[in-house]
Amino acid sequence: MKTVKKVDARRKLEGKAKFLDDYSYDGMIYGQFFCSNSHHGIIKKIIFPQEYDLSQFIIVSAKDIPGKNIVPEPECDQPFIAEKEVFHFGQIILGVAHPCKETLKDFIKNIKIEYKELPALADTKETLKDEMNSFGRKIIIDYSKNVKPKREWIHTHSVYYTPHQEQAYLEPQGMIAIHNQEQKTMFVKGTMQCPFFVKDAVEAIMGDKIKEAIIETSEGIGGAFGGKEDFPNIIAGIASLLSYKSKKPVKIVLDRSDDMKITTKRHPSRVEIDTYTDSKTHKIKKINIDYRLDAGAYQTLSPVVLSRGVLHSGGGYACEDVYIKGQLYKSNTPSNGAFRGFGAPQAFFAIESHIDKIAASLNLDPYEFRRMNIFRIGDEFPSTQKITENHLFDCFEKVIEKSDYHRKIKEFAKFNKSNDDKKGIGIAIAYHGGGYTGNGEKVLNSEVKIVIEKNGVVKVFVSNADMGQGAHTTLAQLVNETLSYPFEKTIVQIPNTSKTPNSGPTVASRTIYIVGNLLRKLALKIKKELQFENLEEFISNNQEYFPKEFRMHFVQDPSVIFNEETYQGIAYKDYSWVACVAEIYYHSVTYTIEPKRIWAVFDIGNVVNVKIAEGQAEGGIMQGVGYGLTEFFYKKGYGRMQGLTDYALPTSLDIPEINVEFIHTNSDFPKGLGEIPMHTPAPAIRNAFYNATGIFIDEIPLVPERIIKYELLKKK
Amino acid sequence: MKVNFNLNNKKVSIDVDPMKRLLDILREDFGLLGTKEGCGEGECGACTVLMDGKPVTSCLVNACHLEGKTILTVEAIAKEPIGKLLIDCFDETNAVQCGFCFPGFLVSSYYFLISDGEQNLDKIKEALSGNICRCTGYQKIFESVMLACKKKQLYSHRFSLIHPVR
Repeated sequence: MKTVKKVDARRKLEGKAKFLDDYSYDGMIYGQFFCSNSHHGIIKKIIFPQEYDLSQFIIVSAKDIPGKNIVPEPECDQPFIAEKEVFHFGQIILGVAHPCKETLKDFIKNIKIEYKELPALADTKETLKDEMNSFGRKIIIDYSKNVKPKREWIHTHSVYYTPHQEQAYLEPQGMIAIHNQEQKTMFVKGTMQCPFFVKDAVEAIMGDKIKEAIIETSEGIGGAFGGKEDFPNIIAGIASLLSYKSKKPVKIVLDRSDDMKITTKRHPSRVEIDTYTDSKTHKIKKINIDYRLDAGAYQTLSPVVLSRGVLHSGGGYACEDVYIKGQLYKSNTPSNGAFRGFGAPQAFFAIESHIDKIAASLNLDPYEFRRMNIFRIGDEFPSTQKITENHLFDCFEKVIEKSDYHRKIKEFAKFNKSNDDKKGIGIAIAYHGGGYTGNGEKVLNSEVKIVIEKNGVVKVFVSNADMGQGAHTTLAQLVNETLSYPFEKTIVQIPNTSKTPNSGPTVASRTIYIVGNLLRKLALKIKKELQFENLEEFISNNQEYFPKEFRMHFVQDPSVIFNEETYQGIAYKDYSWVACVAEIYYHSVTYTIEPKRIWAVFDIGNVVNVKIAEGQAEGGIMQGVGYGLTEFFYKKGYGRMQGLTDYALPTSLDIPEINVEFIHTNSDFPKGLGEIPMHTPAPAIRNAFYNATGIFIDEIPLVPERIIKYELLKKK
Repeated sequence: MKVNFNLNNKKVSIDVDPMKRLLDILREDFGLLGTKEGCGEGECGACTVLMDGKPVTSCLVNACHLEGKTILTVEAIAKEPIGKLLIDCFDETNAVQCGFCFPGFLVSSYYFLISDGEQNLDKIKEALSGNICRCTGYQKIFESVMLACKKKQLYSHRFSLIHPVR
């Protein structure tokens, strides 16, 4: 485990690193969107404000699209721009551009629109209740044995709800598009995770008007967390359209309130769990899960979120009889999308809450009950994949020891007897499959490239963005350590679709796990091919041989076979594991939960850069704390959330002390880390609250308003 | 309207709409791009600068407030001895992730170091509570500022010539 300083840190600290809004081009004008303020309606009339000279504005609607008005996604059902009917609040109706930002803002504010209003579903709980609202798509994992429950088996049933969550990357979304008429190309620079997704989108919307779209990320990407996976497609598409029509570079940077209103969020969920547990052996005998996600108005990438959610919904527990059903629901809210965890945090909130509920009904300590049922070698996932390591169990035992769980359980019970305020401690465990699900990585067919220059610079070309997670530092480390070459001379290039091969999107905890391991293989191949003792000397002695380019494609391990119809087989070749303990202090006067400490023990395989890994884990845990305690959108949603003032992100005063440890680090290769820290804090805090008060709340966030309701119910 | 103020230790004067935000004046009129807009409503702290030596969110300060004021932005603070010390500490702990919020954090931690500087976690948390970071979980930021406080005390003789903030 080494720590190298991040390559991008100093420029960022000095304020020199360029983020999207810091770029400008000659003749550049500004673009914005005019969006619907109706949840569902047919557009009758759009009236432009008369006090402006319309000829000064570039305006594009669905009619101006030369190519296809469909955003390329796993499910191609969402238009770039609404045509006659709007299906959700915040749907883009027009793209507008003007040389002056302020004038543009005022103009858009004063556009009037009339609709024929239609019935709409904006309340998530209502949407998810009724199977009539399902899109129809179903994923079923049938690992059931049709055993009839015995009399000594205890039945536990509950329904768990989780809300929308905003990614809240600090840098809002933005794109600059520059149309080149002579070369028939569209150059797009932006803050994004997936340059090749954006390329497909721009080429789709522009049709035969361009030969090629060239996409490049900005130097700095101010956070993404999944939020910049697919929505950038739409912004880039419309910016391109505006640039094409105006013949000028067009910059679109969303202001915070637009960003919050119209971009994708984490899917709200309703997870219903039925279990039977043997009251003598304390083994879970039967699990039945109904997993539902509110996809929003369009499905877009939600089928993939559903798939991952379903595959993670059984939790880290062995059971011989499991049946899982997953469905997507349609509501009149913006399409939900990727957010760190991708369906799994919802799944783990439900199953980890449920485990504590079973333990309570058996009168067992949640630790004892988990220990009885946690995955061990030889157990199987409901997808029949075999568990081949006890690493989850090791993480679990380690975190219990680190947090001094057993002593605290006793001490807090004593404290709680004689105090109105309460102390509590709770556990949650989770896993996360690295990379795309099933055969996904085979389909992606990622390619990486390394160029060794005459001057000794080793250039690494991948399409994966560094959006703060440190990928361009850790990927360089994997290459330079393999080549035994100076770190300073190993440089990962800014992704650009005309220069970097397609190594896939920067998503699914795959950057180090798939792309990093692939780069390491390529570096090993270079070593073998050139047969050098010392690369620096080799380059200076064999100048005629350089610059030299090396490429490699990802090859899927042939033992990884997954059936996408039956959901049986190996869903992910490698899993990362985590066990987490949360300690809280409950203020009974203000009904407030104060998270005191969180311990998390991970197995992510080989840790490439320990400080960067810790930072990833701590950041994910903080987002999990926000998910569990403060972050939500008002019930009727989008119209009312205007910005970061009414969406409560954790600040330095809200955050507990976080203790992170990595185990089993002497493994051969690194596994995924990006998403897994997100899974456990919310259920661990919820379980700690139960430990403190004896109240089960099956819904997050645990805001005082919600706690009061449950406290009152308890008193009745 | 015409406003005269002191920007990064230089007297400046511009003719500007009285309601134009300081944030936009810095970025558009003076090309100081280190100050970032995260929310535009004074919540996130990414646009923090020092006005007469105190941290303010520049998205909430308008041109009409600027007459005679002294403004220090990240660009100037990064060159101050204490600013450099902080940058070294943030760099050493790999505290920076996306970096969009960091110019704001640098200004707020700089203010804490020159106005107090005690190696006290609670005080540091309080001092940074106006800056939101979505990436890091704050732990490494606390660690960096604690480290900077420690180093400042250890090498106080080196920092005796700190540029007066006001």
